[in-house]
Amino acid sequence: MSESHDHEHGEHAPIQTHETPGEWEVLEIAVRELAIEKGLITADDHRRLLEGIDGASPMLGARVVARAWVDEDYKKRLLADGSVAFELGIDNYDRTNLIVLENSPQVHNFVVCTLCSCYPRPILGLPPDWYKSPSYRSRAVRWPRAVLAEFGTVLPDDVSVRVHDSTADMRYLVMPMRPAGTENWSEEELAKLVTRDTMIGVTVPRLPSPPG
Amino acid sequence: MQELNERAKLLYRTVNDLGGLPREPLNLTEHPLLPWEKRCHALLESLNARGVVSMEEKRRGIEDMGQTIYAALTYYEKWAMCAANVLITKGHFTPDELAQKIAQVKRRFEEGT
Repeated sequence: MSESHDHEHGEHAPIQTHETPGEWEVLEIAVRELAIEKGLITADDHRRLLEGIDGASPMLGARVVARAWVDEDYKKRLLADGSVAFELGIDNYDRTNLIVLENSPQVHNFVVCTLCSCYPRPILGLPPDWYKSPSYRSRAVRWPRAVLAEFGTVLPDDVSVRVHDSTADMRYLVMPMRPAGTENWSEEELAKLVTRDTMIGVTVPRLPSPPG
Repeated sequence: MQELNERAKLLYRTVNDLGGLPREPLNLTEHPLLPWEKRCHALLESLNARGVVSMEEKRRGIEDMGQTIYAALTYYEKWAMCAANVLITKGHFTPDELAQKIAQVKRRFEEGT
């Protein structure tokens, strides 16, 4: 840092970059540094993966769903082959094999990973805590309607609920139903209705409440 | 089906095999990842990308921790422990090397460098 800048030092507390880390943080640092020193990975590998993690968020999935809502041909291709999702310039940093599930008035899909936490991370970001929780993993496959109700999602009895159990080789993205009343909406406006939880399938897209 | 006794149940379920079991209701509170948790995620992804620790080896490493550790540790604590265990098991470094590195990291933080 240059000494020549002219504002007064001591205007604010020094920026603290080293807090005392916990034991697990120390372990993470130690293993990573050893892995780099031994040539197993490079610091750049690690940095690039951090960028991949930072760059992925549910907004990416929302763009895919909104495109499918407005483009019938794209939707057909996407449902036939989930890798079409990555055409929109999305970095498939962990080489996710994606399957897209279309919700309909007859069928509601939602996604779990009973064995751990498989999730379409490049397209939705990292999974929420509850997705990885024993409560969700245990119950979703046996009491799906009760689990959905805990998210405030209550489906009519005549709608079939299909639960998809993810694996390392098959990860799922739910394409929710496009809400009625959005016929004239642009793709960008539609994407705002598509949230993370609607693409896991535990909620459904809702129109914003009218102002006032 | 006849009620299985507790020991017989161990035959049928590994520690991670939770599907279909009764549990408490969901806790929907979310926490943003801590910086070290995100780095830990990227560490395992890097090791996987380089073919050093595959996703299957990571999964196996976590499932083999046993019920007590599996239930007690947080998600990324398990990942960090698994990375250390698998790399040692595969001969990439020794427990002594890891212990020395841990001591070095702690010393660095104490000295604030």
